[in-house]
Amino acid sequence: MAESILSKKRSSVFKKSPGDIAFYIIDITIFVIFTLICLFPFYYLLINTISDNNLVSKGLIILYPKGINIKNYLALKNVSDLGNAFLVTVLRTLIGTALMVLVSAYAGYLVTKEQMWKRKFCYRFIIITMYFNAGLIPWYLNMLMLGLTNTFAAYILPGLISPFNIILVKTYIESIPKDIEESAMLDGAGPMRIFITMICPLSTPVLATIAVFGAVANWNSFQDSLVLMQGTPELFTLQHRLYVYLSSATNLEALMRNGTVSAEVQASLTLRIVQYTISMVSILPILCVYPLMQRYFVKGIMMGAVKG
Amino acid sequence: MTDTTALKLENLTAKEKALKIIYAVFRVTALITLMIIFFPPLNPARITTEITKHASLFTTTFSYNTITDTLGRSIKLNYISINTIYILMVSCAIILIGVIAICAGACLSLGNKTAKIKGSWFPIVGSILILAGLCGIYFSYIRVKNGIRPDKVPPNLSYSYYLFIAVAAFNFILSITIRALLRQDKKKQPFKIEQKYTLFLMFLPILILTFVFCYLPLYGWRYAFFDYTVGSDLTWKNFKGFYWFTFLFKNKETFNDLLRVLRNTLIMSGLGILTNWLPIAFAVFLVEIPSVKLKKTIQTLTTLPYFISWVLIYAFALALFSTDGLLNNMLSKITGTTHNTNYLQGDSWIWLKMLLWGTWKGIGWSAIVYIASLSSIDQQMYEAADLDGAKRFQKINYITIPMLMPTYFVLLMLQIAGMLSNGLDQYLVFGNAFNMDKIEVLDLYVYDLGFGKNNNMIPISTLVSMAKSIVSVILLFLANGASKLIRGETIV
Repeated sequence: MAESILSKKRSSVFKKSPGDIAFYIIDITIFVIFTLICLFPFYYLLINTISDNNLVSKGLIILYPKGINIKNYLALKNVSDLGNAFLVTVLRTLIGTALMVLVSAYAGYLVTKEQMWKRKFCYRFIIITMYFNAGLIPWYLNMLMLGLTNTFAAYILPGLISPFNIILVKTYIESIPKDIEESAMLDGAGPMRIFITMICPLSTPVLATIAVFGAVANWNSFQDSLVLMQGTPELFTLQHRLYVYLSSATNLEALMRNGTVSAEVQASLTLRIVQYTISMVSILPILCVYPLMQRYFVKGIMMGAVKG
Repeated sequence: MTDTTALKLENLTAKEKALKIIYAVFRVTALITLMIIFFPPLNPARITTEITKHASLFTTTFSYNTITDTLGRSIKLNYISINTIYILMVSCAIILIGVIAICAGACLSLGNKTAKIKGSWFPIVGSILILAGLCGIYFSYIRVKNGIRPDKVPPNLSYSYYLFIAVAAFNFILSITIRALLRQDKKKQPFKIEQKYTLFLMFLPILILTFVFCYLPLYGWRYAFFDYTVGSDLTWKNFKGFYWFTFLFKNKETFNDLLRVLRNTLIMSGLGILTNWLPIAFAVFLVEIPSVKLKKTIQTLTTLPYFISWVLIYAFALALFSTDGLLNNMLSKITGTTHNTNYLQGDSWIWLKMLLWGTWKGIGWSAIVYIASLSSIDQQMYEAADLDGAKRFQKINYITIPMLMPTYFVLLMLQIAGMLSNGLDQYLVFGNAFNMDKIEVLDLYVYDLGFGKNNNMIPISTLVSMAKSIVSVILLFLANGASKLIRGETIV
């Protein structure tokens, strides 16, 4: 539906007066400028990481890259903590998102079954948690009590239940015609069978949407790593590791320089360049997947907007 | 209908009435048994005080690391044998299996007669398993007691050990009674649990997960009422009641801190509310652009900043505004003199800067809701307006904006309800010693109190969190009520 409003061509019923043309020019200019402002930081970091390091240190690379090379990225393999953080984040995104989508679909489906005993209570039990928050310390103490601090499971388990996603799935499943389910039940299929063979395939739009939201949230996760992993730096997420490098990275240059990089690259590495390169590495996956994701999150907002 | 639930209580025999009551008691007991294995204060496996207080029976079973955290050194020096730990963990596992069996029995008790009978064996076996596991724990306790260095590894058998014996015995008695009272019908029915119960049982893991991660943290609110530092006990000696409440107001330092933080929070939220019309303007004027391709491209590209984390935005800020960043470089080139002001350090205009970053990040995303709303406006209204000779801005004023008002109102109410929550990430990454005074919002303050260097602040941090949660819920209710009054509908 959002497609339609953006796809609608301006009606040519009215004549284009000079006022109209002036308006269009101003309108388009403002938006183009804003879009460039949105894109420029990404672009700036990119060109500064692929250009000749000496030029970058002198601040000469502003609008276009000069002396293109990817030695900075190759040099990153010496930063051992980074590889770990990357791996942890990728695993977390894949496993955590997949499980979250499964659990949300499962919960969303069961909640639509009106025969379930105490269905209203079950549904409210989950939804109410959206409206209160126990607080940072109580949450941390809870994880401590469960023995989940400094473990990888702490990244996956709390994220399994997402009330908002469950609402989205429930709303979507409720819009599937009931006859499909009923005819399957007449054929003797149980709820799980119906869920796996029929509901899941039919719900792929909404499941893809929540997968996108979940994956982005997992990839960008920072706070739980900060709070829960204080004893195990090897479990830091990518963003947390990036934060460490950005805020207190005196050893970073040394790390990079001790590796197996050629002498000339070593000499040209500065703290800033290394920070930029690591930043680019942490966005690159999102940038690559972004055009594909766009469809889903627009749909997702609309589903959420219609509900709320 | 042979549906047992259709029978009224008066029509049952005395035996069946008794069975119903006992079943209800049994199911509650099974639930309680399940819950106490997650409760660290009630951990029977804490056979020496060297095992951390924070470990529940569940954790002791699986987490070797939790046990060796504190006992590691004693194990190395042979004050306690590693076999004792293994025996302990195996006994805990046996208890866990027993508890699972009891819960399985409780689940099966929701079925028909055959299910009930088959299920009645589980709690019996389960209780016996629990008792066996408890014997194993006692065995390892004896080994610790007879250890070489009781000062380094003091033996400990808390009252929770006896509690578990009592719980297991109670379960055993209940299950034996149930087995005795159950009598198979003449025509043996096939195993069946009604669908409404099976659906509920299928949903049960979800309920448990939600309980453990969303409701259980509320139990941590009790820390606000004790004098607690990391590692100390929560005993009645430490109970301070509302002491921390009054401390917050009496102690000048913390009170001023709190006022400052509240000021920061309300200003940031206030600025957000004052500028929440920007996404509407964005959506309205974006739609006016004549080219479809351009509209979609702009929408895609301006939504990109929403998907990156605040850490990355801080990296951008460093690249652009720090001493060797782009801004300083350009200024140096243009004016000829070297500029190296660190724009990120001072606290001048910090609220505005935070607002700008927030807007840059969020406006594309927030506009999507409005763009979606715009698509549901009936185009005939615009055509009618055209016929009446309405100009562009008149159409926007009289048709578009009023149609967007409902969505705007809901979002405004939600924004007001969430006034105290600004998020932690943005302010944590941009905060430093120079701007902390103005940038520290409530969420960051709670984080600093709890995880900062001063260990005595955990109760206060908990207290402030607690107050924030309660006030937020109240605000939500008020917003809901206001919405009902003004719009006739609630937002929740």
